Amino acid sequence: MNFTHAVRDVFDRPVRRLASAGQPALAGAISVENLTKTYGNAVAIRDVSLAIGSGQFVTLLGPSGSGKTTVLMSIAGFVSPTAGEIRLNGEPINHLPPDRREFGMVFQGYALFPHLTVAQNVAFPLRVRHRPRTEIEDSVRRALEMVQLERFADRLPRQLSGGQQQRAALARALVFEPSVVLLDEPLSALDKNLRHDLQAELKDLHSRVGLTFIYVTHDQQEALAMSDEIAILSEGRLVQMGTPETLYERPATRFVAGFLGQSNFISGTVEQARRDAFAYRAGATLLSQSGGPQQRDGDSVTVTIRPEKIRILTEAETADNRLESRIASFSYHGGHYHLQVDVEHVGRIVLDAPTWRREAPSIGQSITIGWDEDASVVVAS
Amino acid sequence: MSDAALTPTAPTRIASWVVICFLLLPLLVIVPISLTDQDYLSMPVDGISLRHYANLFTSREWLWSFTQSLIIASISTLLAVSLGTLCAIGCWRLGNRISEAVRLLMLLPMIVPTIVYVLGFYRLLVDLKLLGTYLGVIISHVVTGIPYVVVIVSTALASFDLRYDQAARSLGATMSQSIRLVLLPNIKAAVASSAIFAFIHSWDELLIVLFIAGRSIFTLPRRIWDGINDKLDPTMAAVATMLLLISAALLFLDLALRKRES
Repeated sequence: MNFTHAVRDVFDRPVRRLASAGQPALAGAISVENLTKTYGNAVAIRDVSLAIGSGQFVTLLGPSGSGKTTVLMSIAGFVSPTAGEIRLNGEPINHLPPDRREFGMVFQGYALFPHLTVAQNVAFPLRVRHRPRTEIEDSVRRALEMVQLERFADRLPRQLSGGQQQRAALARALVFEPSVVLLDEPLSALDKNLRHDLQAELKDLHSRVGLTFIYVTHDQQEALAMSDEIAILSEGRLVQMGTPETLYERPATRFVAGFLGQSNFISGTVEQARRDAFAYRAGATLLSQSGGPQQRDGDSVTVTIRPEKIRILTEAETADNRLESRIASFSYHGGHYHLQVDVEHVGRIVLDAPTWRREAPSIGQSITIGWDEDASVVVAS
Repeated sequence: MSDAALTPTAPTRIASWVVICFLLLPLLVIVPISLTDQDYLSMPVDGISLRHYANLFTSREWLWSFTQSLIIASISTLLAVSLGTLCAIGCWRLGNRISEAVRLLMLLPMIVPTIVYVLGFYRLLVDLKLLGTYLGVIISHVVTGIPYVVVIVSTALASFDLRYDQAARSLGATMSQSIRLVLLPNIKAAVASSAIFAFIHSWDELLIVLFIAGRSIFTLPRRIWDGINDKLDPTMAAVATMLLLISAALLFLDLALRKRES
């Protein structure tokens, strides 16, 4: 695939031009400050603040109704905020209509104009800017090469497959060299395999063109795989923003831990609080947990642990927390078994165990499970 | 479901034909009358004759009425389609409760009895000193023609995704560029269809013209009306046949346009 090569050809020029302008670090930086949008009594987003650096791939992630699309549409200029400020490179842009913001946008369902061919669709942003005809033809040809649609230039959108439509929409959003590209669930209409390929393509394209990408999705895996940073929204509020690793490994709240992948939650009462660790009691079981100078004896605490961080222990193996359990159900996933086990006082725990060199589990079987005190995290409940 | 269940029974078929005849015969009866060889409205007696058609096409009065009707209907159509389409687009874009109310308001000329409306027009045009002028007639025909346009264009827009407009705007198109380059090309069949209906509306409108046209404006329907009151000249049947043919032609054109679109 010479996709990468074509991209470099196309975008070397504009990227270098930006750099020579002397302010590449600023171009395409978006900040959202205390953004609130209400519709009558209904609050769509409440006091959302985000700082998105130039050239970053930032994903707005949340379940439907979390307000992620409202944030994106406010940045695009289609939703006028009730309160708050949106800035591009430090300049407020709230007053600018969408067509003056110069953001490329890829819509859910692509919104390719049905009466225009692929080439005419891609030419549209240049046509409305009254660029000379030769320049338009040139740019369109290179943009189509970039997404490998040269051969489909004269087709109508409905004659393209879903993946091709997605590429055409991307070419149309990039052809006028915007500094920021907004993407509203661009892959949600595609089947799983194609989605996977296009995720990689999109990520590759992003690193080539060096533009700011703001991406909306409800798909956690997609967000983890593609983003430099993820902003998690729930019920109109920003819950946590950070790198995929931070959000996955150190979720701040129970919602983040549960939404981004699977998690077990254990509630207990703090005992033996020390400077860098503490113990907590769930029923008759005492468990240890690292980190927590802020914990005091008697506090109630919620601890979360990922299924893949719980190990099945043999007699000889040790772990900070060791629990006896009984297998309630299990399923086979090729690379691992997914087990649901019951632990006295703690309740139902899910865990993933590698299949390699392991006997098949059976329901009712007693196993010892365990994890170290730094494998789990304290979350706000 | 079997085919037999879809085939109508004999009584149903007979009833259908009765209804069709009931609808069409009064229309079609003017065709033989227009071909009468007599000097008054009647069926042909000794044979058919085209002299009433000859009379129609040589009479200065009838040709002048034809021209007046054509001018009024054309200008009214142009205005009603422009205004109605813009109104429909505006309501579609707002998509809120106010736009629903506006759309309902636009339908009023269709809902309120024409005679009531005409009285209102009469008062208004007296005050504006537009009674008996082309402008007065055109304004009235535009106002009463707009509902057809709003209904037809709104229906087409209802299935048109708002995101196309947003996409155009995000790609740098101004509002008018988005309407011109994206919206209109995609609803042109509906706009053409609404133009046909607005044209027919003005073309065969009688009541408003009777009240406000004064002495100088004699549209075709008004001349027929006067003709029926004065003398029973079969030329009127010839005119009516021509009107029927033109309306039918326009409706078939509309049908063809819609077919091509789907």
